[in-house]
Amino acid sequence: MNGTILRTEQLQAFYVLDIFGTRKVIKAVNGVNLEIRENEVYGIAGESGCGKSTLLKALYGAIDPPLRLMGGKVYYRINGKDVDIFSLRPDEIKGLRWEYISYVPQGSMSVLNPVIKVKETYRDFLESHVRGKTKDEIFEIAKEHIRALGLPLTVLEAYPHQLSGGMRQRVTIALAALLKPRIIIADEPTTALDVVVQRGVIQLLKGIQENLGNTIILVTHDMGVQANVADRIGIMYAGQIVEEATAGEIFGNPLHPYTRYLINSLPRFGDKGMRESVPGSPPSLANPPSGCPFHPRCPYAYQICTERMPDFFEPVAYHKVACWLMGES
Amino acid sequence: MNFVKRYLIPRLVQYILVVFLGVTAVFLIPRLTPTDPIAHTIAQIRSQGAYLDPATVDEFIQDLKELYGLEGSILDQYIGLWKRLFRGDFGVSFFQFPTRVSELVGRALPWTVGLLLTTTVISWVAGNLVGGLAGYFSRKRWAQALDFAAMVIRPLPYYIFSFTLLLLFGYVIRLFPIAGGAAIGSVPSFTWSYIADVLRHAFLPALSLTILGGTIWFQTMKLIVQNVNAESFVQYAKLGGVKEGIIVSKYVIRNAMLPQITALGLALGQIFSGALITEIVFSYPGLGTLLYNAVITGDYNLIMGITIFSIVAITTAILLLDLLYPLFDPRVRYR
Repeated sequence: MNGTILRTEQLQAFYVLDIFGTRKVIKAVNGVNLEIRENEVYGIAGESGCGKSTLLKALYGAIDPPLRLMGGKVYYRINGKDVDIFSLRPDEIKGLRWEYISYVPQGSMSVLNPVIKVKETYRDFLESHVRGKTKDEIFEIAKEHIRALGLPLTVLEAYPHQLSGGMRQRVTIALAALLKPRIIIADEPTTALDVVVQRGVIQLLKGIQENLGNTIILVTHDMGVQANVADRIGIMYAGQIVEEATAGEIFGNPLHPYTRYLINSLPRFGDKGMRESVPGSPPSLANPPSGCPFHPRCPYAYQICTERMPDFFEPVAYHKVACWLMGES
Repeated sequence: MNFVKRYLIPRLVQYILVVFLGVTAVFLIPRLTPTDPIAHTIAQIRSQGAYLDPATVDEFIQDLKELYGLEGSILDQYIGLWKRLFRGDFGVSFFQFPTRVSELVGRALPWTVGLLLTTTVISWVAGNLVGGLAGYFSRKRWAQALDFAAMVIRPLPYYIFSFTLLLLFGYVIRLFPIAGGAAIGSVPSFTWSYIADVLRHAFLPALSLTILGGTIWFQTMKLIVQNVNAESFVQYAKLGGVKEGIIVSKYVIRNAMLPQITALGLALGQIFSGALITEIVFSYPGLGTLLYNAVITGDYNLIMGITIFSIVAITTAILLLDLLYPLFDPRVRYR
């Protein structure tokens, strides 16, 4: 088993809003413990609005108002030492970005500067991290990188609006891999793309990971994509991780009722029956339900579910699930 | 070639159409007013006590019609107008008879353009630069102080602001002359003393225009920059650890400049209508005062001359802007 590269302890990040004097707290990440290993693709899945993107921001160390760190720690393993990133100075964090950890943002359609060519964006990222290179050398690095990833070289000479959505997404993923970071965080990289393009994007991401032997943290609500690339999957619900296991375990032996619903809602070959979806709608993170946040939608809820959030049980080795149903067995 | 067909030609056609419609409107509007300039002139002469017998009056009317271009049907007059325009002939001024309109405009133009071109460009550059930085660093103390100053200055009515400047620095502290474009009786020449004199006269009007104009550019630029700053591509570059200098210049300012370039083009076109209040407060010679006097005295030819001139100037400015804009925005360049 590989060593841990990124670890969180009881991570809590809330949006604190002040609306005309009324304080509103949105508990987007509420006590998350993760241990993400070297050389794996860790998938985080869950409905829209369950705090996935916020968790990524916190993992990336990008906590800006109104988002606030309310508690917990995030450690990166750098040169054999655990580094608490929230204790670092801003310039130290800046130094880690792109060289140690990089980020593929949600909605890559609008993350490229519209008035400069793609190669200029590459140059700006390179120049800010690599010292003592001439302009031509920098463009040469960018070209080499694009060629190695099998993308057409013409993308470098193009403006963002001349590229298709899929190509823009690929350009952004390639940009994230530019400095060979140990961790790449990808936030919904395939959303808003059609399935054929999705495949290309996923293959690119997978190829990069295999080449660099690094870690990818992939957030997507699309269980099909998770099944294709993730080694391990964490299921997120209402700001918490409720189940975590290898991809095979999650799909073959889902234990949490919420995970079961997610998997059962996927279409299957040859099965023409109606797919059942999760009843009800996602809970409000401003005012989450007491106890286990899933209990109002859960068909098996007991009295205790409404009162206390369960700890993780490990009914199968390396398969953790936070559900009272598992505690009984 | 595609650029010429899809970008240049439609804009040229539009340009010609706007000038044509503008000139037509300028031709028609005075003719729809109930006043008859010829009757007006004759009444004026009579009111001064001169006796005119009916035969003389008839002859006089004929002469004036010819002079003012009021002979024949409306259509004849209209065609006549275009013929004269193509020769660059705007006719003679009624009031400052027999000076030609083109000569009057030519005399006023250097003052107006000299003053307004300088102040427009200076206030645009300064306002955008300071506004851009204040927008990017909007949480800094100095940016908020500047913003407050702009909020105080901006709503001041221009005539009060300029008049206060004039009183303060022209009368209370006699640093600058209070009227005119140059000392009375001085002959335009390229001597140091003459240029210094012109600059001294232009200082207060220029100051008032620059401060007020600059404040407006400052405020708009600050807002635009704050908006661009929230765009994904700026946030993304920040998360990517791109150097702040690069983000400010290449990501924020460069995108925020686009609407300001359009606004500059329009402001430059506006120059040729003159700055009436400035010219009146500071008794500065220029197109604004000329137009104002023409309206007061009912000098139709002069009004038409100045109006047509500014129509052409503004539409030309817009055309040039349209032609230059693709240089700044690749999304317009490659479609």
